[in-house]
Amino acid sequence: MSLIQFDQLTRSYGRRRGIEQLSLSVEEGALFGFLGPNGAGKTTVIRVMLGFLRPSSGSARLFGRDSWRDTKAIKQEVGYLPGDLRLPPWFTGNSALSIFGQVRGKDLFRPGRELAEKFALDLTVRVRAMSRGMRQKLGLILALAHSPRLLVLDEPTSSLDPLIQQVLLAHLRDVSAAGHTVFFSSHSLSEVEQLCSRVAIVREGKLVADETLAALRARAGHEVTILWSDASQTANLEPPAFLRLARRDPGVWQGVLEGPVNRLLEFLAGKPVQDLYIGRPDLESLFRRFYQTTPEARV
Amino acid sequence: MNRGLVVRALRESWPATLVLGLVLAFVEAALAFILPRFGSQLPAQWLQMGMIRGVLQAMLGTRIADQLGPEMFHSIAWVDPLPLALTWAHAMISCTRVPAGEVDRGTVDVILGLPVSRWELFLSETLVWLGCAVVLLFAALAGNLLGSLGLPAQDRPHVGKVLIVLLNVFCLYCTIGGLSWLVSSLSERRGRALTIVFLIILALFLLNYLAQFWQPLERLVFLSPLHYHRPVEILVGGVWPWHDLLVLLSAAIFMWLAAGVIFSRRDLATT
Repeated sequence: MSLIQFDQLTRSYGRRRGIEQLSLSVEEGALFGFLGPNGAGKTTVIRVMLGFLRPSSGSARLFGRDSWRDTKAIKQEVGYLPGDLRLPPWFTGNSALSIFGQVRGKDLFRPGRELAEKFALDLTVRVRAMSRGMRQKLGLILALAHSPRLLVLDEPTSSLDPLIQQVLLAHLRDVSAAGHTVFFSSHSLSEVEQLCSRVAIVREGKLVADETLAALRARAGHEVTILWSDASQTANLEPPAFLRLARRDPGVWQGVLEGPVNRLLEFLAGKPVQDLYIGRPDLESLFRRFYQTTPEARV
Repeated sequence: MNRGLVVRALRESWPATLVLGLVLAFVEAALAFILPRFGSQLPAQWLQMGMIRGVLQAMLGTRIADQLGPEMFHSIAWVDPLPLALTWAHAMISCTRVPAGEVDRGTVDVILGLPVSRWELFLSETLVWLGCAVVLLFAALAGNLLGSLGLPAQDRPHVGKVLIVLLNVFCLYCTIGGLSWLVSSLSERRGRALTIVFLIILALFLLNYLAQFWQPLERLVFLSPLHYHRPVEILVGGVWPWHDLLVLLSAAIFMWLAAGVIFSRRDLATT
C-alpha cells in the first residue's frame, strides 16, 4: 500500500512558484529521500502533505486519507520536524514531552528520556537557553517519541554535529527496519545517500527524478581522464556521444562518461592511449545537474 | 478541546493575566476610593458647565441631569479609560495569540504538526481566554469593592448592581476579544493585528466620545461598543441592561465564529 500518494499536486502562491503537478507515491517502510535545492518546493510539499496548506489542485493522501480534510486523524500517526524549528522559549524537554504527551494521549516520558540519552540532550534546560543544535535535538525527540508510523523530517541534520548526525541516521535505519516510513527532506545528497533507498528530486516546484539510488548510480557518469600518447593522431578525433568532455587538449581529454565503461573501452581500442583514469560513479555531478536551473545544464 | 493545548495556552496566558489583574485591581481600588470623595467636593456649579458635563456624559454614555450622586462618580470607575484600556489590552493580547501570534513567532508548524483539529485549537485557546477574563474581571471587582470600603457606608455601591456592571464589562470585553480574534484570524503578524485592533477600538471610542459634542455623529454611535456600556444607569437606576448585553454578546459571538471559520479554512504556515 502507498503510505503517501500525491496525484498531480499543485500549490501556487499567486505569482510566487509553489509546486506544479507533482505525482509521487511512497511505500510503507521506505526510507525516502526528498531532495532539492533551497526554494525548490520541498517544504511546500510537506506543508500540503500535513494539511497546513490547501492544494490548489490535485490531491495529497496519507494512509489513504485526504491530507486536508482528515488532517487530525493523519497526524496521530505522523511525527514531524519542521525545517525551521521554533519552540516556545519557556519549554523544557520535560514540559514539552508532558504537553505533547497530553495532546497525543500517550506517555512520552519514557521514550523521550531514552531518545534524550541517545542524542545527549538535557531535558531540564529551557528552550531560551538552548543552542540551535539542542533545539533541533528536542524537535527530533518530540517527533520520534510517540513512535509514529510515518516520520516527516525537513532538513533534520541542520545544526547537528557530525556525531549526532550519525546517531540520527542510525536511529532512522532502525525505525525503518521496524516497518516505519521515513520521509527525509534535504538539500544534501551525502546524507540522503547514506540513508535512503529511494530518492525524489524536486526543482523549481517540479519533480525531476524519482528513482532508487541504485538506478541513479547506474545513470550517474564516471569521471574520465584520457592521456593520449600521440596528440597528432587524436587532434581530429571526435569524442563519442556518451563522453561529455569538459577539457579537450591535444594530449588530454577530461570529462564525464555516461553509460557503461566497456563502451568507452571499445571506443579506445586501437587508439594511442598512454593512460586512462575512470573514477567512481559520480552522483554529486549528476545531482548538480538536477539542481541546475539553466536549460543546457539540465539532465 | 484538548487538555494539552489548554495547559500550553494557560502556561502562556497567566503571566499577562496576573500582571494586568493586579494593576487593574489597584486602579479600580484607587478610583472607587477617590472618585466619590472627589465628586462630593466638586462645586455643583462646575457640573453645570457645558464642557465638564459633556465630558462626563461622553464617558458615562448617558445624560447625567438627575444622577449627580456618589453612584454616578462610582460608575466612572467602570468607564475610566485606564481600566478599560487594561481590560481591552488583555483581550487583545489573549485573542491574537492564535493564529497571528503563532505564525509570527514561528511555532504554528509545531502546533499544527500535532493531531488536533484547528477547531480544537481554537476552542482550547478560547476556553483559556475566557477563564483568564473571569480572573481579570474578578480582580477588578475585588479592587473596586476594596476601594469602596474606604467610603461611608451609605456611599458604597450596591454589590448586586456592581455585579451587573461587571457583567456588562465582561460583554464589552468579549466584543473586543471577538474583534481581536477576527483580525488575528486574517493576519500573519501579531504586531499588525494588534495595531489594527487598536486603531479600530480607538476610532470607536472617539466616535462614542465625540458624538456627545457633534450631532451628526450621533447616527453612527450605535457602531461603538461603548454605546452599550452605561454603568451609571445600572448603579443609579438599578436597570438590567438586557439590550446592551445582547448586542455586545451577539457582536462578540458573530466575530468569534467568523474568526473560527476563517482560521479553520485558511492556509497556515510559518512564513
